[in-house]
Amino acid sequence: MTSDAQKTSDAMTKKKGRSIPELFALTVFLLLLIVFFSFASEYFFDIENAINIVTTLSVAGIIAVPGTMLLIAGQVDLSIGSAAAFGGTIVGVYAMKDSLGVGIAAAVVIGIIVGLVNGFLITKLQVNSLITTLGTLAILRGLCYIVGGGQTIMVGDFSFLGLDRPFLNLPTSVIIFIFIAIMGGLVMKYTTFGRSLYVIGANPAASRLVGVRNSRVLMICFVLSGLSTAVAGLILTSQLGAAAPMAATGLELSVITAIVLGGASLNGGRGTISGTILGLVIIGVLNNGLVLLNVDTFWQDVARGTLLIVAVTFDQIRERWSIKNK
Amino acid sequence: MKQPDKDLNVISASGIRKSFGGVEVLHGVDLYLAQGEVLALLGENGAGKSTLVKIIAGDYVPDEGTITCGGNEFSNLDPIKARELGVRMIFQELNDAPTLTVAENISLGSWGAKNGFVSWKKINERAESALALLGVDLDITKKVADLRIGERQIIEIARAVSENARVLIFDEPTAALSSAETERLFSVIENLRTKNVGMIYITHRLDEVARVADRVEVLRDGSVALMANAKTASRGELVSAMIGRDASDISHPIDRPTPGAKILNATGIGLDRAFSGIDFEVREGEVVALYGKVGSGTAEVAETIFGLHPEHSGSIELNGEVFEPKNPNSAIDNSIGFLPADRQRLGAFMVRPVAENLGVPSWPRYSKGGIITLDPEEKAYLSWTGKLKIKSRNDPKQKIATLSGGNQQKVLLARWFEGNSKLLVLIEPTRGVDVGARRDIYETLRKSAKEQNIGVLITTSDHEEVVQVADRAIVMAKGHTVAEFKGNNITVESLISAAS
Repeated sequence: MTSDAQKTSDAMTKKKGRSIPELFALTVFLLLLIVFFSFASEYFFDIENAINIVTTLSVAGIIAVPGTMLLIAGQVDLSIGSAAAFGGTIVGVYAMKDSLGVGIAAAVVIGIIVGLVNGFLITKLQVNSLITTLGTLAILRGLCYIVGGGQTIMVGDFSFLGLDRPFLNLPTSVIIFIFIAIMGGLVMKYTTFGRSLYVIGANPAASRLVGVRNSRVLMICFVLSGLSTAVAGLILTSQLGAAAPMAATGLELSVITAIVLGGASLNGGRGTISGTILGLVIIGVLNNGLVLLNVDTFWQDVARGTLLIVAVTFDQIRERWSIKNK
Repeated sequence: MKQPDKDLNVISASGIRKSFGGVEVLHGVDLYLAQGEVLALLGENGAGKSTLVKIIAGDYVPDEGTITCGGNEFSNLDPIKARELGVRMIFQELNDAPTLTVAENISLGSWGAKNGFVSWKKINERAESALALLGVDLDITKKVADLRIGERQIIEIARAVSENARVLIFDEPTAALSSAETERLFSVIENLRTKNVGMIYITHRLDEVARVADRVEVLRDGSVALMANAKTASRGELVSAMIGRDASDISHPIDRPTPGAKILNATGIGLDRAFSGIDFEVREGEVVALYGKVGSGTAEVAETIFGLHPEHSGSIELNGEVFEPKNPNSAIDNSIGFLPADRQRLGAFMVRPVAENLGVPSWPRYSKGGIITLDPEEKAYLSWTGKLKIKSRNDPKQKIATLSGGNQQKVLLARWFEGNSKLLVLIEPTRGVDVGARRDIYETLRKSAKEQNIGVLITTSDHEEVVQVADRAIVMAKGHTVAEFKGNNITVESLISAAS
């Protein structure tokens, strides 16, 4: 039952959109973190360290852009960590057998196939995306060991993606990330594809009845997610100069934490790319700051997990609040 | 009307005032309810009905005024105290646990457990006796998910009764019920009346007032506009109290434009057990109503036209050409617009802005190569708010959830006007919509049929609606057409007698 009275009061007080204060709170939190770490560590407030932070988060960031799109549409892709590692394994194996070029092409193709398989299971066979991608998460991790023989594969002459700094002293990976983020933001705002994602997330049954092609749109989204894992896997391999079967373990945790922290709703229909970027930077700064303060890496996991729960709790409170005040 | 002896009242509220955000929505409202009495509470959306009953149920604390119940006076009732006093609300949205059985649902929350062990015997006894009290025969071992909506509602009532409810508040209880289920609910209410339970019955359906209630109270803009005997108050009296101006009784549309070319022609269409052998046509400028009780197959016919049942039999022609509606997109691509019965579940994007809710079907027109801006839909929204009298903040970014039901429905209709639909297929277009908005919707439909030369197909179980809006009425019962009426031959009497 909706309350007539609350409607009136809402109409009178003219509460404007709530997305601005949300991002505002996050921005304040980020600034506080920066101020704190700047005082706590002499190495923190430094341009090289800033580039370091952005470089580290670019891998998660590239995946988080289509990840945000999926969550806005009410879907989730948990297979991203293993998929990225699998992309790395593929490039390693083919670089050894054939050439680096063939390896890169193969990794991209595999990424698209992973997306297609996830998308097919979820949109055509109607399997829940959480379960489907939890399954492919395990499958792909297993395949990393099987295909790569359980070994870390050295990949030589592959520095241009992860290590080279072609422009403004920024690594290629950061440039790719910035490009994808801007494109993602524009797509969500100015294309029918992006706007369909909001509508599908808000009410998939209703979107079908107004002519939105739910399955097709979600399929594209899962393929983009798969493709992004391939790119991320390539960057990781390039950064390390090697493809390790256990690479990118737990990457899905960082990515989803950033997305939820950035204001995307687990119930779909809400979220922005810029929010996700802010979430990514917060996580990046937190991790970096903790490292600089010599905090044990295990504690970093604790911090990340806590941040995820806090973010989800905020999401729930916000949801309840907006229902109450509608 | 004279107020009966105070001691006989199970609950009474006096001088209730309540403000939200500095705006007073109740200006000193009185309400009283005697034992075994049914009080119909009427009023348009925004009149303050919901706020008033929420105050009685302890959900809101009034700014001024008192609630008297069980010989005590309260100025700040809370939900727990209200429950203890036996005040229960039966909500429109069901609060049951669908995966559990009937018996478990009736005892929901009070298992009668001893040392942590649940007594199944007690739970079953309790369910049986509550259902017996209501005079309802239901298998208590059935899963609630397998029940019809009316049966689930009765379980909610049974739960309240098993907890010794003294005051029951019904919020539009028949909105989603078939006529058989409605009848059963009325007999349950009769049973409760003999058990001295007082009932407040919120409804939009005027025909129910005399049928079920003893007294009627009408709220308008936060004040009591009328308190009257429900059996003698005339429909006109109630309507004018609700809308604050004289309202003619249900009347036919004034003008009947001559229908133009055939838009839709269905021949011998059928679907499983839902309906069969249905022939009908819709012409330009014409409003056609498929009238029938819930379950008569009218809604399924509409869904078939919109491509939701591609497995149908028979043939459909659109503008003289064969049309195979195999999914919603094939219908939309052929300029068919559709309004589902369940606004919340299938119609609106509640967390999204109003302009977007309106704009989606027009996106292909607004966009070029997949590129789109917010501008066209926001402009469209602002122009439709005027044309359809959509009461809102005039802010295209306002979430649709913040509009009242009637205004939400107007947005969902405007969606298809903006989408340039040539044929509108509307299922129960005014369900849960208040009288004022209902009029606006009828007016709009008739006007756009006439001026834009579109065809309108409505399926409805509301006979008044058919009289007020339709040029032609096709009556369906049990999946077959049983009668057809035209123009001023469409009357409440003719419709009811044909459908039953």
